[in-house]
Amino acid sequence: SFGFLNVSVASQSEITRRLEKSVGCDNDESKPEGRGLLSRSQITHGEHPLSLGKSSVWNQFFQDAMRNILIVFAKLNPGIRYVQGMNEILAPLFYVFKNDPDVEMAANAEADTFFCFVELLSGFRDHFCQQLDNSNVGIRSTITRLSQLLKEHDEELWRHLEVTTKVNPQFYAFRWITLLLTQEFNFADSLHIWDTLLSDPEGPLETLLRVCCAMLILIRRRLLAGDFTSNLKLLQHYPSANISHLLYVANKLRTQAIG
Amino acid sequence: MAYKVDHEYDYLFKIVLIGDSGVGKSNILSRFTRNEFCLESKSTIGVEFATRTLQVEGKTVKAQIWDTAGQERYRAITSAYYRGAVGALLVYDITKRQTFDNVLRWLRELRDHADSNIVIMMAGNKSDLNHLRAVSTEDAQSLAESEGLSFMETSALEAFNIEKAFQTVLLDIYQIIRKKALAAQESASGTGVPQGTTINVNNMSDNANKKPCCST
Repeated sequence: SFGFLNVSVASQSEITRRLEKSVGCDNDESKPEGRGLLSRSQITHGEHPLSLGKSSVWNQFFQDAMRNILIVFAKLNPGIRYVQGMNEILAPLFYVFKNDPDVEMAANAEADTFFCFVELLSGFRDHFCQQLDNSNVGIRSTITRLSQLLKEHDEELWRHLEVTTKVNPQFYAFRWITLLLTQEFNFADSLHIWDTLLSDPEGPLETLLRVCCAMLILIRRRLLAGDFTSNLKLLQHYPSANISHLLYVANKLRTQAIG
Repeated sequence: MAYKVDHEYDYLFKIVLIGDSGVGKSNILSRFTRNEFCLESKSTIGVEFATRTLQVEGKTVKAQIWDTAGQERYRAITSAYYRGAVGALLVYDITKRQTFDNVLRWLRELRDHADSNIVIMMAGNKSDLNHLRAVSTEDAQSLAESEGLSFMETSALEAFNIEKAFQTVLLDIYQIIRKKALAAQESASGTGVPQGTTINVNNMSDNANKKPCCST
């Protein structure tokens, strides 16, 4: 189950050089982000930390660190072990730490990522646990909460999806929620969404549910015109979106609920 | 318009893709529905859905294919998707013996959760990796015979037998349904089907007021 990891060894200086060249956190003043900021707008496929491309520095040098983290997590959580998809949640964390412009910080990326991964999964771990599927902390219960949130904010859309076209939210939201949206958007957009998930005072899960609900509302016109097949295809292949607008709409859902 | 409701088919058949993780189910699906193959494909989480419309015996058949996650953790969730399926492609990897040994477990899953008349095709995928073969064609054939399954070796990478495997499953389903419809018509009329009668078999549709799949 660690098939995505393919390890090779190189000297640390080579690693640093290749990484800087690859992710653009060098001194190049011409870059719009300037020095010291992550270049998130243009992350190519080969620069995704889970890339298996031969020229990917992640594949060549860093995926063993991610594998270590997942192995230790599996040993510490014998009731869950490794579940497919955990790698997708780990990748953004590792990417951000490894790209820290402070060399000393970047050198500790593996330890920092592990700490944050454990911390993040403490709120999401139950979604990976089959024994909890039907409990009030399991994935089904969380999907039901999303469905209720949609009903609360857009009953017409909720009715069309779940009653009229019979699209069980489990068919799309299972992956949305389990993977914290990492497979629904390109990597740069996922990081953008994660900035909000991880910084919101209400916590990642509540924020995630609002973002998921906003994703449905943003494409409501298409969904209302669609049948079972077209809606399921649309929701399983979510169209590229203006992420700032998505997060704005998601945030409005909170304001409405409180006010 | 891309999102229009389409009714331009005679039959809608739901097919599930099952088997251990890593055997190539998602690539079989992408090869069949989009003629694509991806070496770096991600693990399937939950279920993925795709359709393709094709001709079977002169009828337009829409195949609605549900590609399921193979890992144990996802099994309870995905077995709920077997309901209403009239066909299954049970996939193993010819280079990994374990995935073949687990075929019997998958058959049990189908018997527990799917319709008893479901048409099952066992597919030995990755036939392009013949030099790494761990399951002989003879072993697979004898298992298929004893379990009453169709069997084919396939390669999603080389687009070998993918089309044929689905065509075979769809044709088998079509013939079963046709036979049933004829039998129903015969018992209804009492005297058999008169020549030239149009037989209207459950006009299956995934439209709002009807079941999203063909239930037999």
